[in-house]
Amino acid sequence: MAWVRDRFRVWWQSRLPLTDTWVLGQRNVYILPTGAGFAFAATLLVMLLAAINYQLSLGYALTFLLTGAGLVSMHLTHGNLRGLTLHLRPAGAVYAGEPALLEVVITNPGRERHGLALRFEDRGAHGRTHAWCDAPAGGQTAAHLSLVPAQRGWLAVPALVLETVFPFGLFRAWTVWRPAAQVLAWPRPEQPPPPLPAAGAAGGDERAGPRSAGSELDGVRPWRRGDSMRQVAWKKVARSGELVSRETVSTASRELWLDWADAGAGPGAEGDATERRLSRLAAWVLLAEREGLDSGLRLPGSTLPPGQGDAHRRTALDLLATWT
Amino acid sequence: MTTLALRQRLTHLPRDTRDTLFHLVVIGWTITPHLLHLPPWCGVMALALLAWRARLALTAGALPNRWVVTALLMLAAGLTLWGERTLFGKEAGITLLVVLMSLKTLELRARRDALVVLFLGFFLVLTHFLYSQSLGTGLWLLVAVWGLLTALVLAHMPVGRPPLWQAGRVALRTAALGVPLMAVLFLLFPRIGPLWGLPQDHAGRTGLSGSLRMGGVASLALDDSIAFRVRFMGAVPPPHLMYWRGPVLSNFDGREWTRLAPSFPASLRPQLELELKGDPVRYEMTIEPSRLPLLPLLEMTPDEDGAAPRIEGWLLQLRSDAQWHVDRPVTERVRVQAAAWLQHRHGPRDSVLGLRDLVRLPPGFNPRLLQWAAELRAQPQNAGADAPALAQLLLQHIRRGEFTYTLEPGEYGRDAIDEFWFDRKLGFCEHYATAFVVAMRAFDVPARVVTGYQGADPEMQDGWWVVRQRHAHAWAEYWQADVGWVRVDPTAAVAPERVQRSFSLRPPPGLVAGALGAIDPAFAIRLRDVWETVNNRWNQWVLNYSRGQQFDLLRELGFEAPSWQDLATLLIGLLCSAALAGAGWAWWDRRRQDPWQRLQQRVQARLTTLGVAVLPHHPPRTRAQQVRLALGARGEPVADLLDALDRARYAEGRVALRAWWRRFEAATRGLA
Repeated sequence: MAWVRDRFRVWWQSRLPLTDTWVLGQRNVYILPTGAGFAFAATLLVMLLAAINYQLSLGYALTFLLTGAGLVSMHLTHGNLRGLTLHLRPAGAVYAGEPALLEVVITNPGRERHGLALRFEDRGAHGRTHAWCDAPAGGQTAAHLSLVPAQRGWLAVPALVLETVFPFGLFRAWTVWRPAAQVLAWPRPEQPPPPLPAAGAAGGDERAGPRSAGSELDGVRPWRRGDSMRQVAWKKVARSGELVSRETVSTASRELWLDWADAGAGPGAEGDATERRLSRLAAWVLLAEREGLDSGLRLPGSTLPPGQGDAHRRTALDLLATWT
Repeated sequence: MTTLALRQRLTHLPRDTRDTLFHLVVIGWTITPHLLHLPPWCGVMALALLAWRARLALTAGALPNRWVVTALLMLAAGLTLWGERTLFGKEAGITLLVVLMSLKTLELRARRDALVVLFLGFFLVLTHFLYSQSLGTGLWLLVAVWGLLTALVLAHMPVGRPPLWQAGRVALRTAALGVPLMAVLFLLFPRIGPLWGLPQDHAGRTGLSGSLRMGGVASLALDDSIAFRVRFMGAVPPPHLMYWRGPVLSNFDGREWTRLAPSFPASLRPQLELELKGDPVRYEMTIEPSRLPLLPLLEMTPDEDGAAPRIEGWLLQLRSDAQWHVDRPVTERVRVQAAAWLQHRHGPRDSVLGLRDLVRLPPGFNPRLLQWAAELRAQPQNAGADAPALAQLLLQHIRRGEFTYTLEPGEYGRDAIDEFWFDRKLGFCEHYATAFVVAMRAFDVPARVVTGYQGADPEMQDGWWVVRQRHAHAWAEYWQADVGWVRVDPTAAVAPERVQRSFSLRPPPGLVAGALGAIDPAFAIRLRDVWETVNNRWNQWVLNYSRGQQFDLLRELGFEAPSWQDLATLLIGLLCSAALAGAGWAWWDRRRQDPWQRLQQRVQARLTTLGVAVLPHHPPRTRAQQVRLALGARGEPVADLLDALDRARYAEGRVALRAWWRRFEAATRGLA
């Protein structure tokens, strides 16, 4: 049974286009009664029987009033979704195992919508949490879901469901949406971070002499745009009142190569070893950035020239995330 | 706490607390009308539970555990069993339902619990109609339904703290949109009879019953509810001649009068033998449900074409005791047209053996009356007295014997008639009628008690005469050779105004009505008349709506011989066409586009034919640039138009799309 249901779901979802903007209309909003809806119908049936048996005119009137309201609520439930536009904002990259925040912007061209719930289609795999929101008339609202990538690499955003039971909870209207967007998961950095490889050993480049990491003070110069906070000679600043930076040889010339070969870990399964190497390299990239070192990345088949800064870090992590 | 501070506190309650309090108020409102007729412990318990729950909500206290709730439920079941002797049946069921609903509020934890309470609430609303379907009840419960629907909506607005009025508005709008469907279903849903036997519970209902016991009619006389309405097609007969004939009771077991169970074969029983004199009185009646298998028609309505009442699908029959019998209990309001002859004669002219059933008296009851009758009969001047003379004797006794007409004669013992006739001399119609009949039988004259209604309200309402339950009456008939049955109203001997002016003792009015009447009696009467007129319309159009009215409606719609199949066909046809219309709308809605987007598509198509490459998402100003690039000066007017459109849309916010498209078409036509 479960197998049939899974097969059906796969087949059903494969029919849906991959898109980051999903306009809800007659074609893609589905509706069925809920358990409460069936209970309501049973209540109405009992009430109708009572009205018939006791010949209660007002009993008929009440039963039919509730029947009418119940059927109208079906249209309102469907209308609560119809006309909405869903748009998935591109999500930033995260480390594997950490939650990536998905922001879905709901644009409502019509009247006010209440009780919208956004969730992942596959509740077993991605958690049962609903993101509840209301959409103001003619406005926008955002719903947030967090997606936790288990592994590094590109992860397609799984199918999302926007559903509602408003106003009476007798019917559930929903839509299934397969966003085209993907979330990039960087390798999980090794914890605790291993010490950086010795620059000399890691080098090979003649200029990057065997110096210890930026410890020697070669002199100061006025602060220039682009100098990091770490380079500022705070003691001197405190004394002189002028913003000055340390001028070390290493800031200009020291380069650290983070090499796949150096990241070798202990024994383990083949796949595990690869992931552990990547984890270690990721930890090194972060450490080098924190230390203010120029670092390059050398992987089998691809190389990233040494550099520094946020953009460099991202590029390095992206490389690690997508390396195969 | 001052009221201001209280209001402050109420408006700043946390969402959960506020919702729970609203729930409790709605439930309280819904069960309140039941408190009038449920046992007092039930009302006290329900209100105490609601108050307890409200306190828990305000103090954010923990809900009681399951055992406490179960124990309370057992207690309620025990009390019900003790009071009602059963857990089933109407009264017991409603008592339990009220308690159950209040108890369930102690378990309001999840959304599901709230839904259970609300659905129970809808059913509870329905149970009120078993007691009253008046306009006031209807309005009260309409508010209750609105409250329940609002609570339902509130349970499905999980975000933030939506104001109550917002949920209330959604509920009202949904219900209002459902009204057309409700009207169609109400008008056309076939009215069928009860599906199974109704539980026997006459206790809560008033009206004539098929039997008579001392005290039974006293409670009726205090009941101001309407038994039926009548209007006459010609002259209105005087009230003292308006006898509406109900159950005829000939069997007396010493305590209770019931219908005769004849002990003679049919050929020996007295027959109807109705003879009519004079002109008929034509009339129309709207009879409230009496739950009795009879129609209280005007004496004497014969079983003749043009005079006999007819109700579609019912079998009506005039019995030999001149009572109109129906083949089912009247459980819905019915309307009949008939004609009656006030001057008539009925019953056998010659003595038949079956009449002996009507002189039978239970042995051992009322010995003093029997002895008194025998002595009276033995007196020489009464030796040859016939039936009318004996009846006169009895009436004289009543007139001269310091009898008093009262609605509260008090309890009578085993030999009730003896006690009434000789000692207490306090009573109302049924005492006089039964004593008269027993005395006549003691004289060996066949006699019987007839129950029914007598008279009508002195004022017409909305063209209808109103006969109320307090017009319930009992009178007597004795048999006279060569004449048949003769009606005697012994009550008239002591309280002629009860019969002649149709005056009946009125119970003391309520507090408000009393105060109003004291200030301005005329206004109070007018107010009451307006109210009863409105109520009459309500009865005629809403409560009275039954199969007969449905068939009338079908006839007006052009059905020749309506049947319930026609109703079903019409109903299903209407629902199907509504569904088809809905599907058509959905199809149209699916293809509908935003006018702006449609315009952009048309502009793109037109520009493509001119050789300008544009993409769907380009705004008009980008298209204008591309037109300038591709066509140069030649395309300048078109580009200007596109720029103007861009400004109108994004800077001014007002676009006349159609006018613009005409100009654009004209400008591009020159280029092609």
